[in-house]
Amino acid sequence: MKKLYNRLLPYILLLPMIILMTALVYYPIAVTFSYSLKRMKLTRPNDIEFIGLQNYIEVLKSEDFIYSLQNTVFLLVLVVLLTTICGFCVALILNREHRLSGVFLAIAILPWAMPPIVNGIIWRFIFFPGYGFVNKLLLGLNIINEPVDWLSSRFLLLTVVAIVTAWRSAPFCAIVCLAGLKTIPKELYEAAAIDGSNSFSSFRYITLPLSLPFLGIGITSSSVTAVNIFDEIVALSGFSDTGKNLLIQNYLTTFSFLDFGKGSALTYIIMLLTSAIGVFYLRSLNKEVSY
Amino acid sequence: MKNEIKKREPLSPAYILACAAFLILTLGPFIWAFIVSVTPEYEMFTNDSGMLPGEITWGNYAELLGMESQYSLRFTEGMVNSVKAVALTLLIGQPIAVITAYALSSLRFKGRTFFKYGLLITMVIPVFATIIPLFRIFSMNRLLDKTFWLSLVYVSSFLPMNTWLMSNYFASIPGELSEAARVDGCGYMSCFFRVILPVSYPIIAASSLIMFLSAWGQYQIPLILASSAATKPVSIVTSEFMTKDTIFYGVTAAGGLLAIVPPALMALIFRKYLINGMTQGSVKF
Repeated sequence: MKKLYNRLLPYILLLPMIILMTALVYYPIAVTFSYSLKRMKLTRPNDIEFIGLQNYIEVLKSEDFIYSLQNTVFLLVLVVLLTTICGFCVALILNREHRLSGVFLAIAILPWAMPPIVNGIIWRFIFFPGYGFVNKLLLGLNIINEPVDWLSSRFLLLTVVAIVTAWRSAPFCAIVCLAGLKTIPKELYEAAAIDGSNSFSSFRYITLPLSLPFLGIGITSSSVTAVNIFDEIVALSGFSDTGKNLLIQNYLTTFSFLDFGKGSALTYIIMLLTSAIGVFYLRSLNKEVSY
Repeated sequence: MKNEIKKREPLSPAYILACAAFLILTLGPFIWAFIVSVTPEYEMFTNDSGMLPGEITWGNYAELLGMESQYSLRFTEGMVNSVKAVALTLLIGQPIAVITAYALSSLRFKGRTFFKYGLLITMVIPVFATIIPLFRIFSMNRLLDKTFWLSLVYVSSFLPMNTWLMSNYFASIPGELSEAARVDGCGYMSCFFRVILPVSYPIIAASSLIMFLSAWGQYQIPLILASSAATKPVSIVTSEFMTKDTIFYGVTAAGGLLAIVPPALMALIFRKYLINGMTQGSVKF
């Protein structure tokens, strides 16, 4: 009896998770796939029909898809670069212990507490096309002669979105890096100093190589963030066409045009694209490091 | 301890410069939003290059927190809705995360890796993959605009992250501890409650904080599943002050700042667990 209980225990403990994830994740994902193979518009509820891969073909051929894919890739590259570099630098700043380091840590995690939509709203005041902060600053320094319209042209807008998103996601990267930096044994630095290593070469040959595993976590988690940017774009430019990425395009297709078939097909295409990141993510989560 | 501080080398100018840049870039946006929130509306569009308003008004905050205006009703209701959804999410999500993490990290059984990866992989699945049918199922069963069901969806999307953090932490607890308890006749469950849980409060605090912040920041999911006045969170309410045609700048900035007070407070209070939990949780050595 006891033995049977012990054997069943793991499954009993996992049961709530399995029920919840099946009902709200696995089952819906399967349903989405079945939607993606059908002509299915909520505006025409009686005209639902199996059409095979038609939705996929139409999505892949559409200009909106290509346009939003380009935007997503642009955001991905920029956000990952900015988040990882800034996050790592902040971690290096925080890793030095001094009288203010506690306060610094508190300040560093503030952006991370921001709801993404509020983040976008607050930065909108900074990049506001009229007399927002950046324009006032640049006008005051005589760098520009009239206000720049930051949020109307495509790549300017996307760059702003990337900066804003990186600002919010850098703290998490910094905390992961800081946690990692703290595990590097101090003896390594002391030994290097005795061997005549200066602070630059200590950084180059000790800190950097030993940071790679948690930089991996930072890079992968920021790429997940970057692909899933939604709120910031909405806050900065609404649901306009200029800055739309794949997710906005997906939202518009599904919930504005109520084309559930095409929306589901687009979702599956996005999922295929992100699964590459997913594999990398799982790998970096499980990486073991030895000295 | 004091000696140690004295012995430290002085901070280099480059380090101090980096700190200054860090402080300006991190705090700047908050400060600017605050300035906007206390600037009178008529001063907002004047073409002077001065950064500070000529006059300070607290009207926007009064508007949001007072009792009479249309803003305050919507805003306070949004705040209450957010608090409700977050509390429910934590109450439902954390117990499930704890037992799932315990089973996956400390027990040996058939299919362990399968369940583990099956759960973890959902972290990278885009929200839309589940939300499209959920919207349809919810609307057919009249579950839209119900805080409980919204919270369940939140739990399903944050569970993988929290389970992963916790199970790494549990795995880092020395096996001798629970073995000793087992020798003394503890079953798996009492061993879990008496040995593992008491030493795991840092990661439980850290992951609760992460869950709180993620749930508080949600916009996309409630926009689709809970957009009625009775359920929509403060994030949606604030964004609605900024419609396409008219933007109420001061009110929007004030609302945004007020909406980040609860998560910022939580983050500040629980921040020390974050590093402790993460050191053992996210990076395994």
